Amino acid sequence: MYGWIWRHLPGNAWVRALISLVLVLAVVFVLFQYVFPWAEPLLPFNDVTVDEGSGATP
Amino acid sequence: MRSRWRPPRDRVRPDVVLRLVVRTFSEVCLTAGTLIVLFVAYVLLWTGVKADRAMDGEMDRMRDRWAAAPAPAPQASVSPAPSPSVAPAPPARHPAGRAFAEMYVPRFGRDWVKPVLEGTDPELLKKGLGHYAATARLGAVGNFSVAGHRRTYGDPFKDFPDLRPGDEVILKDASSWYTYTVRGGPLRTVPTDVAVVDPVPEKSPFTAPGRYLTLTTCDPEWGHSHRLVVWAELTETRSADRGRPEGLSG
Repeated sequence: MYGWIWRHLPGNAWVRALISLVLVLAVVFVLFQYVFPWAEPLLPFNDVTVDEGSGATP
Repeated sequence: MRSRWRPPRDRVRPDVVLRLVVRTFSEVCLTAGTLIVLFVAYVLLWTGVKADRAMDGEMDRMRDRWAAAPAPAPQASVSPAPSPSVAPAPPARHPAGRAFAEMYVPRFGRDWVKPVLEGTDPELLKKGLGHYAATARLGAVGNFSVAGHRRTYGDPFKDFPDLRPGDEVILKDASSWYTYTVRGGPLRTVPTDVAVVDPVPEKSPFTAPGRYLTLTTCDPEWGHSHRLVVWAELTETRSADRGRPEGLSG
């Protein structure tokens, strides 16, 4: 998988390493900005109210 | 010049296939492990960074609003044509999601101060403490109830179990300081126990109507099977221009 990506990046080893770093940072950004905020409410830490039966918290 | 030997396409050697399978499997495992570590870092650290930023923003906006439009003094003698029939009408409720007070709990630390927002929506609790919209207003007769995160999103109520009767919970809105003194709790109860935020809360030491405060958070620390509850009673009100209450001085 990673070998396949490496072979398909253009340029010499330095350019490839730089592009890889940018790709990694982009993936981390997408995870922190979009994926983790979506997944976090599935954990139980958000339930701090006593239910009022009006959808206060699940 | 001899070209490198390549296996014929129709006869792939089994050890090559096995190597590919093992390598791909280990890459997937490493990726999953990295993802989990990143997610833990997000939940433990990054939500706190985000929440601290959001709470600071809420506090700044609230103080700007206070500075721009100081709340009218309690005595309503300035109104030009007071309607004769009604007693001083209660001020309108705060818009949902807006910060309207700041809370100090000396037990949680000298610098501990958090904004209180109107409503208990999960999105809103990421930006501060949440006032149960159906409960009494700050300082009014009834039960002013507030929920907050115990863990994640800045851990505002992390030290909740340390609260003891006699501790002070101090709130400030645009015009006044309200000092509540803890009388009961922390009590562990179940999430469906909505009577703890009743005007005269069940299981609390209170038996008659009064000006009460209820705080709720989750229990256990990292779970959601139970809730922790603390009750307090209004013991002092002073207008903002008379300075900080004694519990915060020094």
